[in-house]
Amino acid sequence: MKDIRASNLWRSDGPPDVRRAVWASVAPPLMFVVLIAMLTAGAATSSRGQMATVLVVACAASVAAAAWVSVRLVRHLRAVVRQRDAFYQEFARLSKLASLGEAACSIAHDLNNPLAIMNEEAGWLQDLLNSTDTDAEVTRREFAASVEQVQIQIGRCREITRRMLTWTRDPEEPSGQVDINTLLMKTLYLVETELVATGVRVVKQLEPGLPLLKGSAAELRQVLLHLMKNALDAMKGTGGTMTITTARAGGSIRATIADTGPGIPPEVLARIFEPFFTTKGEEHGTGLGLTISTWILQRTGGRIDVESTPGLGSAFHVTLPAAVPVDGPAHNGGTP
Amino acid sequence: MSVVKLLLVDDEARFVETLSKRLAARGFDVEGALSGPQALERLRERPCDVVLLDIWMPGMDGLEVLKEIRRRHPSVRVVLVSGNASITAAVEGIRLGATDYLLKPVDIEDVLAKVEEAVEKKRLEEEATDRSG
Repeated sequence: MKDIRASNLWRSDGPPDVRRAVWASVAPPLMFVVLIAMLTAGAATSSRGQMATVLVVACAASVAAAAWVSVRLVRHLRAVVRQRDAFYQEFARLSKLASLGEAACSIAHDLNNPLAIMNEEAGWLQDLLNSTDTDAEVTRREFAASVEQVQIQIGRCREITRRMLTWTRDPEEPSGQVDINTLLMKTLYLVETELVATGVRVVKQLEPGLPLLKGSAAELRQVLLHLMKNALDAMKGTGGTMTITTARAGGSIRATIADTGPGIPPEVLARIFEPFFTTKGEEHGTGLGLTISTWILQRTGGRIDVESTPGLGSAFHVTLPAAVPVDGPAHNGGTP
Repeated sequence: MSVVKLLLVDDEARFVETLSKRLAARGFDVEGALSGPQALERLRERPCDVVLLDIWMPGMDGLEVLKEIRRRHPSVRVVLVSGNASITAAVEGIRLGATDYLLKPVDIEDVLAKVEEAVEKKRLEEEATDRSG
């Protein structure tokens, strides 16, 4: 199991400013050398007391220079981290918009199918009305069948619009606490079209009565959606099973999204959390999904772990702390 | 001219059923298939002039079916039918040899026009082959 913690985030900043780093390491000794040189030059004409004074001043000056450079460096690093956070925030916002765009596309498809059927039924009724040589009994039966179809298709459309409405209402409690089981089920709606298209089966193993999680439902949904899409991508063309599991893990809650895809080779597994690393090709992946997911989780004290067996599949575990200690009163919402 | 043979491929059974009835009422000889493999099976049993093919179907994707049809029955014309306005899939379809594409819900007049056009292209192609052969 690969574990990612804060150290990875520092690595993801890329190399620090080289010019500043060189300056930081060279400045204090340089200052010391310059002052010693001045001291040596003046040695012939100075007394021992003056020499000692100059030595003390040289030491103090280089210590001060070192302190000044350190302060500058820390300030610089803070700015880099701030920039990265702003970038990740913006990226998370944009990928949320992108996934809404994708969702809109799949809604269009889902709605167009029943609409196409209703369109044909209406057209068929029109054809019957225009026709002169029809048996009254046959026409009556055709009308009844078409009207029934229209009603069935309206039911499908209503189901889709109902599903859309649930997206806008995040299962977030007023205090910024999230019910993970409900959130997982609602996230699953977002990939329903892909599920049908890929023929992937979903198995849910949700532990009922889990405590609420700390965090933002919208952000956490982004993470779960990303993991589900990765799982479906892994099983594209082959089908398989996506297993969604929730369970208590010590003082935290763990949600697992597992696929039965080809698994991740060790050399790829070692790099999947690196920013801009992608195996999907530039057109399909930015290489930031898992990086941003990790960043989102770390802000609320969570993490992602992955295990993968080539040939058998992969499992991504999202672990988040409970909003209140786990042995506190259990939340009764839960498995739908 | 002989009766035009159509094959309508879509995973929505009722769509196939009703559109088939309407096309049959307009003088076409229509058969239906509910999946890619079923469509290929039908074509093997009985060739047709034009296939109306849904792009997005579970299991075997419409574009895969299109590739197979073009490979096995190069003289059969394919008109794609798409449930969403994904222009990339349509462009890919044309590149793979589809004659044209339609967006769902389809207008019967559009269907008739595209089918007619596809039949015409098929006829011209056959004439050209006859002359050169």
